[in-house]
Amino acid sequence: MLDIRDLTKSFGKGDSTVTALHEVSFTIAEGEFFTLLGPSGCGKTTLLRLIAGFEPPSGGALVLDGQDIAQMPPNRRPVNTVFQNYALFPHMTVAQNVGFALGAQGRPKDEIARTVARMLDLVQLGHLAHRKSGELSGGQQQRVALARALAPKPRILLLDEPLSALDMKLRKEMQVELKRLQQETGLTFIFVTHDQEEALTMSDRIAVMSGGRIQQIATPRELYDQPANRFVAGFIGESNFLDASCAHGKLVLPQAGAPLPVTHPDGPVTLMVRPEHVFLGPAPGAGLSVPARVERLVYFGTDTHVHLMLADGAGLVARVQNALRGGAPCAEGDAISITLPADALRLLPKEAA
Amino acid sequence: MARRSFDIRRLPGAATLAITCFVILYIPLVILVVNSLNAGKAINVWEGISLRWYATALQNEGFLNAASTSLILAATAALVATVTATMAALATTRSKGFRGEGTINLVLNQPLMVPEIVLAIALLIILAQVKQVTGYTGLWYLIIAHSAFCIPFAYMPVRARLQGMDLTLETAASDLYASRFYTFRKVTLPLLAPAVLAGFMLAFVVSLDDVVISEFLKSPGQDTLPTYLLGQLRRNLTSEIYAISSLLLLISVLIVAGSWLLTRKKT
Ligand SMILES: Nc1ncnc2c1ncn2[C@@H]1O[C@H](COP(=O)(O)OP(=O)(O)OP(=O)(O)O)[C@@H](O)[C@H]1O
Ligand SMILES: [Mg+2]
Repeated sequence: MLDIRDLTKSFGKGDSTVTALHEVSFTIAEGEFFTLLGPSGCGKTTLLRLIAGFEPPSGGALVLDGQDIAQMPPNRRPVNTVFQNYALFPHMTVAQNVGFALGAQGRPKDEIARTVARMLDLVQLGHLAHRKSGELSGGQQQRVALARALAPKPRILLLDEPLSALDMKLRKEMQVELKRLQQETGLTFIFVTHDQEEALTMSDRIAVMSGGRIQQIATPRELYDQPANRFVAGFIGESNFLDASCAHGKLVLPQAGAPLPVTHPDGPVTLMVRPEHVFLGPAPGAGLSVPARVERLVYFGTDTHVHLMLADGAGLVARVQNALRGGAPCAEGDAISITLPADALRLLPKEAA
Repeated sequence: MARRSFDIRRLPGAATLAITCFVILYIPLVILVVNSLNAGKAINVWEGISLRWYATALQNEGFLNAASTSLILAATAALVATVTATMAALATTRSKGFRGEGTINLVLNQPLMVPEIVLAIALLIILAQVKQVTGYTGLWYLIIAHSAFCIPFAYMPVRARLQGMDLTLETAASDLYASRFYTFRKVTLPLLAPAVLAGFMLAFVVSLDDVVISEFLKSPGQDTLPTYLLGQLRRNLTSEIYAISSLLLLISVLIVAGSWLLTRKKT
């Protein structure tokens, strides 16, 4: 439905040019909950502003339903935004805020009144219709902003870190609420966040961004299980990285005993394994067996983090679930043998450090 | 120990100086108002409180004419100045830097920098010619001149408000299908209204108060309140003049207070 091709955005001229987006391309399907995830300054807001039309792109195409909208002014695009600071009109009531877009479109009064009432019901704010928007709590303002953007029935709703100003508890509630709204309305959402947990729990697909480039686009599960590169693996969840190499169909980890057969082109690789997959002791099935020393145990309630050191000084963290009785299966200072199960190993392209 | 930052209140003599200034500023005003309430005819003999001189003033044809001229002049000039200043402020804050922006600021604020008497003489030279050619001797000369020097007073609050306004509000309006004009009408202008009104009131008071330009440019027989008072002073200082001055003072104070209330930040 929305097709983004080689979208580029640079700010400034000459020597002081900042390129915030480098040839970003992806396609979003109808009804999808699509999330842009990345660290601060990676270009999420810039991408959203280009889609909304607040900023012209420096290059590339934005095709919505077969029509290139890259040059269309924002008030013509069937795309609405929920702003991070809500941007509610302070001189208007809640109802006037929600009805603003319909008024601007010149819809009849009774239709506006009906839509506003329906929208306020949808976000459970019917009782506050005649309050001034400045007299609302943060969570309520958030709902008004949402209702205001939904009222004109956009093709796509853009949300720029809409929950970041809320406290933890309200945030969790709004996550559930947003997801419910999206499923009820069947609307396409493009959601920006730098909170990986928020992204993983809410999204159909996630685009991980860094430095103005898309690093990987995948479902939350794929992103966690099959990260495309070291950045994604490090950004989503926790990971251990080890230097290894592939030669003649075998994976060689210098610290490990026997190599493991793999199908991977020859050359140096970065070996990634999640802490919860590291097995303390010998394990059934194929895997790399590595001698290690237990450096430190850190108790986390549900589980314990075991900090390990390999023969060459490389560090590794294992996470073991705390059983009802008995602690970790080892003590600080122990020399043990760990197993990195073959099906938990991911080979990532080696990058210059 | 942390070094105390500079505090003007602890400067020796600062308080005394400030109090002296206030006394010099306000005592004459108090004396003026008290005198205007004197029942007696002689200005230096107190004979009790009365509104007698106010009544006399309000029956004085010359005063009433001058007052109505002043009010019409101030209202029209303030209106013209406010509209111009608002448009100028929109141009200098809402469009991306354009050529000559600095010049525009300079031109708009010129009346604050050029001595008024110089401006008055310059205008007189031109307008005297125009009067001769056209034969028109009405109020419009004064209206145009007053509009011009009132612009900076209307411009300042409007520009300050525009600069402090959250730009995402206008972005949000454009996102919600509003055209530029609809955004201006429904978002920018309502949020700007208090500043525009404050600018209007300031301009109104400045025009109401002006002597120099009015005195130079008025046609024979024409009088604004200040030039009327000046004319009366040349003859005789009467309690009626005190009453008229007090009225002028009252109007100015009310309007300035109103404008202050409008621009005051809500906290
Ligand atoms: N108007 C602008 N002029 C110049 N540079 C800009 C402008 N807007 C954004 N940038 C730059 O573009 C880059 C991306 O900014 P952007 O606001 O899109 O980041 P973000 O991913 O939204 O970050 P955050 O999570 O902090 O909101 C940054 O380096 C920023 O400095
Ligand atoms: Mg941002």
